[in-house]
Amino acid sequence: MSPDFDELVGDDLAAAERERLERVHALLVAAGLPPELPPRLASPPPPPQAPVIPFPRRYRTAAAGVAAVLAVALLGTGYVIGRGTTPEEAFALPMTGAGGAKAELVVFAKDAAGNWPMELTVSGLEPLPAGSVYELWLTKHGELTESCGTFSVSAAETEVPLNAPYRLRDYDGWVVVEHGSTNPVLRTAAI
Amino acid sequence: MELVLPLPVRLPLHVPLLGGARTASIISVSQADALSDGELIERIAADDHDAFAELYRRYARAVLGLSLRRLGDRGRAEDAAQETFASVWRSARRYDRSRGPAAAWLYTIARNAVVDSLRRSPEPPADVPESPSGEPGPEDRAEAAWSAWRVHRALETLPATEREVIELAYWSGLSQSEVAGFLGVPLGTVKTRTRSALHRLASEIGEELG
Repeated sequence: MSPDFDELVGDDLAAAERERLERVHALLVAAGLPPELPPRLASPPPPPQAPVIPFPRRYRTAAAGVAAVLAVALLGTGYVIGRGTTPEEAFALPMTGAGGAKAELVVFAKDAAGNWPMELTVSGLEPLPAGSVYELWLTKHGELTESCGTFSVSAAETEVPLNAPYRLRDYDGWVVVEHGSTNPVLRTAAI
Repeated sequence: MELVLPLPVRLPLHVPLLGGARTASIISVSQADALSDGELIERIAADDHDAFAELYRRYARAVLGLSLRRLGDRGRAEDAAQETFASVWRSARRYDRSRGPAAAWLYTIARNAVVDSLRRSPEPPADVPESPSGEPGPEDRAEAAWSAWRVHRALETLPATEREVIELAYWSGLSQSEVAGFLGVPLGTVKTRTRSALHRLASEIGEELG
């Protein structure tokens, strides 16, 4: 039952205003009571999380296969490209040692990551017992300062790729020692 | 809590719908209540939770009312209301104030949530009547839904003291004297608040009144 409009507003309103309020009255009656919020709607909901769409199970194996093929293809492409572009040689240093041992250390141009790729060609070094290796060190004031990698020799001449991730100007030469020792078996002139 | 009325009247509706109790559970907001609906939506787009809480306070009952009116089922209506406000979070960045009032933008979102709910679980087909029904057609229903939306939204703009006299007078079946007795205030105060509330509603629903 809707309330009596005259009882609500009285009879002292101007005609235009009375008409205006009467239309509000009609809208209120037509709209009905707005519903009360139940407990679950009493508080505003949290912002929704971004939906995670699960990959359909039946496609997972196929997707893994495609990913593996792509990985192999990318590796192969990288290998072909890498093989075809020899880094520019920056400089080469001879190394000499006792007993006729000698080596050549070729230092290539610094790569994008700031590393100096190197290749050490060694001859005349004695093969070491199993478990022992030679180690190439950068030196400063005659002290072993930074290691550039380890290698072993098993033939008359051995080529070893190595790397110097340092600022070479901070050092004064390279030496090769038996790992764990400080006695050089090969050394460069000063760089 | 059971309310004991000092009057021998029937209250067909929930009496404790008076402002204070209803809003107590809603997050308090600072400053956001001074902003327009459009400004609130723009702030929601910038991830402002206070703005969202204020917009929710203003529209939650209107959204639920629209959903109930169309879906007829309380549970589905509540789901649709929740989905509406989740959509507000998602869509706030696309809101453009120059393209229309915020109330209409929100109404569209709420209506879409209702339509989605109907799609998921459509109403059973009705029997074809032998004679034309006297019930309102789709256009009339849509217009009535929009009007109710505006009225419910406008009610949220009233001060609590005015909203309670309107709700008691219109939907609790109480006369003005009974409202005065129920609230424990003079009859003149009830009349003043009622007229003031109707004036405010008239201003708020301006274009509805032509």
